[in-house]
Amino acid sequence: MENDLVVNNSLRALGLENSSAEGKQSMGLVMARAGLGKTAILVQFALDCMLLGNKVLHVAIGEGVDKTRAWYDDILAVLTDGEKIETIPEIMHNRMIMTFKESGFSKALFEERLEDLVKQGIYQPQCLIIDGYDFEGNTKESLEEFKAFMLEQGLKMIWFSAVSHRGDERVSASGVPAPCHDLDSVFDTVLLINPSKDEMKLDIIKCDTGSIDPGTTLLLDPSTMLLKKA
Amino acid sequence: MNTDLSKVRNIGISAHIDSGKTTLTERILYYTKRIHAIHEVRGKDGVGAKMDSMELEKERGITIQSAATYCSWNGIDINIIDTPGHVDFTVEVERALRVLDGAVLVLCSVGGVQSQSITVNRQMTRYNVPRVAFINKCDRTGANPAKVTGQLRDKLGLNAHMMQMPIGLENDLKGVVDLITMKAVYFEGENGDDIRIADIPADMQDEAAEKREALVEEVSMYSEELMEALLEEGDIDNQLIYDAVRKGTLSLEFTPVFVGSAYKNKGVQSLLDAVEQYLPCPTDVTNMALDLKNEESEFAVTNDPKDPLIMLAFKLEDGRYGQLTYVRTYQGHLNKGDTVYNSRTGKKVKIGRLCRMHSNEMEEIENCGSGDIVALFGVDCASGDTFTTDEISCSMTSMHIPEPVISLAVIPTDNKAQINMSKALNRFTKEDPTFKTFVDHETGETIISGMGELHLEVYIERMKREYGASVEVGAPQVAYRETISERADFNYTHKKQTGGSGQYGRVAGFLEPIEEEYEFVDSIVGGVIPREFIGSCDKGFKKSLEKGSLCGAPITGVRCTINDGAYHAVDSSDVAFQLASVGAFKEGYLKAKPVIMEPIMKVAVEGPSEFQGAIMGSVNQRRGMIIGSTEEGNYSVIEAEVPLSEMFGYSTTLRSLTQGKAEFTMEFSSYKPVPKSVSEELIKAYQDERKNA
Repeated sequence: MENDLVVNNSLRALGLENSSAEGKQSMGLVMARAGLGKTAILVQFALDCMLLGNKVLHVAIGEGVDKTRAWYDDILAVLTDGEKIETIPEIMHNRMIMTFKESGFSKALFEERLEDLVKQGIYQPQCLIIDGYDFEGNTKESLEEFKAFMLEQGLKMIWFSAVSHRGDERVSASGVPAPCHDLDSVFDTVLLINPSKDEMKLDIIKCDTGSIDPGTTLLLDPSTMLLKKA
Repeated sequence: MNTDLSKVRNIGISAHIDSGKTTLTERILYYTKRIHAIHEVRGKDGVGAKMDSMELEKERGITIQSAATYCSWNGIDINIIDTPGHVDFTVEVERALRVLDGAVLVLCSVGGVQSQSITVNRQMTRYNVPRVAFINKCDRTGANPAKVTGQLRDKLGLNAHMMQMPIGLENDLKGVVDLITMKAVYFEGENGDDIRIADIPADMQDEAAEKREALVEEVSMYSEELMEALLEEGDIDNQLIYDAVRKGTLSLEFTPVFVGSAYKNKGVQSLLDAVEQYLPCPTDVTNMALDLKNEESEFAVTNDPKDPLIMLAFKLEDGRYGQLTYVRTYQGHLNKGDTVYNSRTGKKVKIGRLCRMHSNEMEEIENCGSGDIVALFGVDCASGDTFTTDEISCSMTSMHIPEPVISLAVIPTDNKAQINMSKALNRFTKEDPTFKTFVDHETGETIISGMGELHLEVYIERMKREYGASVEVGAPQVAYRETISERADFNYTHKKQTGGSGQYGRVAGFLEPIEEEYEFVDSIVGGVIPREFIGSCDKGFKKSLEKGSLCGAPITGVRCTINDGAYHAVDSSDVAFQLASVGAFKEGYLKAKPVIMEPIMKVAVEGPSEFQGAIMGSVNQRRGMIIGSTEEGNYSVIEAEVPLSEMFGYSTTLRSLTQGKAEFTMEFSSYKPVPKSVSEELIKAYQDERKNA
């Protein structure tokens, strides 16, 4: 069952695990308007990493530990169809949640916390999820510095989420909406949740490190918040 | 006694240790004229606060046993249970919450919402207890009630809103602004008895008006009339606001927040008004009982004093007046001299004396009715028993009681101590369902077990002080368990023919892991094991579960299925099949890959953020799995799962790591297999112990 979760995962379509297996480091971004399911997608990325034996550090800005844990429990319950899997408690050893208030999160503080974990040998994450980062209040330079620091820490995969706003028409040449329209070059992968009348599409705007199967479209099932192939 | 149930409030006062709830209770008793002088918890007069009646509580300045007390305010009867603040005593808190209709959640205006407040809040939510919050100690340096209200929202997920604004803070705390009446309330005189109502200070008027508007808008969600009045933009009748707040509070959707300083005698009377206005009376709450004549189906108690009596014993106490049983009446009434039935034992009990307790003083009464909390004299029962009249057979729903996770040996120093210890243990096990005791057959030692080091320490102290039982104490032992990890077959023949009648029995089947503690499945067909010996097999398996062969811990999570066997017309007996099953279990157990399980505790460590790294390191060194960290300003909370065996002495380590600025709470989470290295150590220690025995 655990193996099924890895092999049959729709995330395989992105082929991201191949690049990390090759030792490449990548930084991705999931964008959507508020309330469409960014956290659900990030949690699926995190769970996929955890199932592959990697350690995940999930940084939730503006959310509590319990609420973040509940996302994992819910997604896992849907993925496993409620079936009990012996190794799940073991897999949860691969996750640590760190939460900050919106006003309390800073690059310097996070760097201090991550260094604490790594230097003391408490936890060495390979995948980092940052949910709720304030892109509007931070510059491209500070994000680039942040990226450099995180890559120095040996992280294989970093995922951010960002909220796009309906009224903001700014968009980059490759189609990345505001507030990340100037940040194309910082991210290797950019995904955008694009709701249409009948379904929720996941547009793959950019995927430099992965090997996307030709013609692949991913959809987000609104009832389960799971990714599925179209 | 008030026969009008709308004028009765059964409330608890729960909070984090040191947030001042005992001082608050003391002031409540003073203002309701139950006592005529104020004694501080750790006061110089040596009297101690009224609610801390046990000597040990007085000495440590903490509340261990919830003492029940009664008072009256504005014609409302209030029964108060003062509850302990240490997580080790949460069964006391849970028991209190079971019988209460509402609660006051006390918070320190400096410390704010801390880990114990989170635990207590979770318990209140589990029992659907509506609450009002009281932010105490507003006279302290660093007091910030607005921040604490924010924490109530963020950390506890409560829809908390301040009903008052403090007039001044820290040393300048003078009184409060009532945001409904829009008046300033000052508490004057030596003990704050004289209440002076005045206009809101000019510099606070704008802010107060803004806050009132926000409050009214928020509570209008719970009242259509208030919503309409708000839309009409005219003057709003205060009663509409009171009603809306009450409705929101009772539905657990709103938590009104009050501020003050019990120590400085400020804001307590307003809190009492809030208890009257916002907390439920017994008829506002639906309590369920189990119908024992109808397969324990649930039914709602009526609260009607004319209906048959239903009464729950929620606390036993051995005090200077003999054995006291605290009861809550859910329906019907009780007169002195009445005979009632204990639903668990079926025994008749005559109620000789009935009284209201006022901490450790009492007031005899002639009768009590639905909704009342009173104490009975000389009734032999256990905590959690239900009393009824002969017209009805029911039991109140059972309480969630956690299993003990730690044990230690107690050795009486002489014969007298042995007798006193037995008396004490008998009492404690009746009083506290999480405290258990048994005699280890192999060592002959008396073992006590409970929910944590402090939990057991307090009972040992009580044994010495209250019962004069001088005992020596062994090192604390973790309650390990053994279980199997896979299915395994067994086929065992027990044969003994050495003179006299022989013994013969063959038992075959398999063991398999399950979630529950134990299950016995009889799949015998064709009578290969006669019916009369099936029970013997079950008994034999159960006996095998008492002590596992890895480290001597009890075995859980096993299903024993028997599907074949053989018997002898003469030599087969109950004993023969019991022994055959013991042998069969032993054979199957080793093949079923047994593992040792240890209790894992959910630990929350709180402290200044500068120590976060050190705290995480200390948890990590203890085989802890860090689940998450929450950083809020200068304060961090680290949540982790840590094996209990690694938590001994952690408070000392934490103190030295953080200059005494951090603290932790823990509660049982689950049993998990121990790592291989620990398992090997435990097995070796058990083998050595057996060799030396």
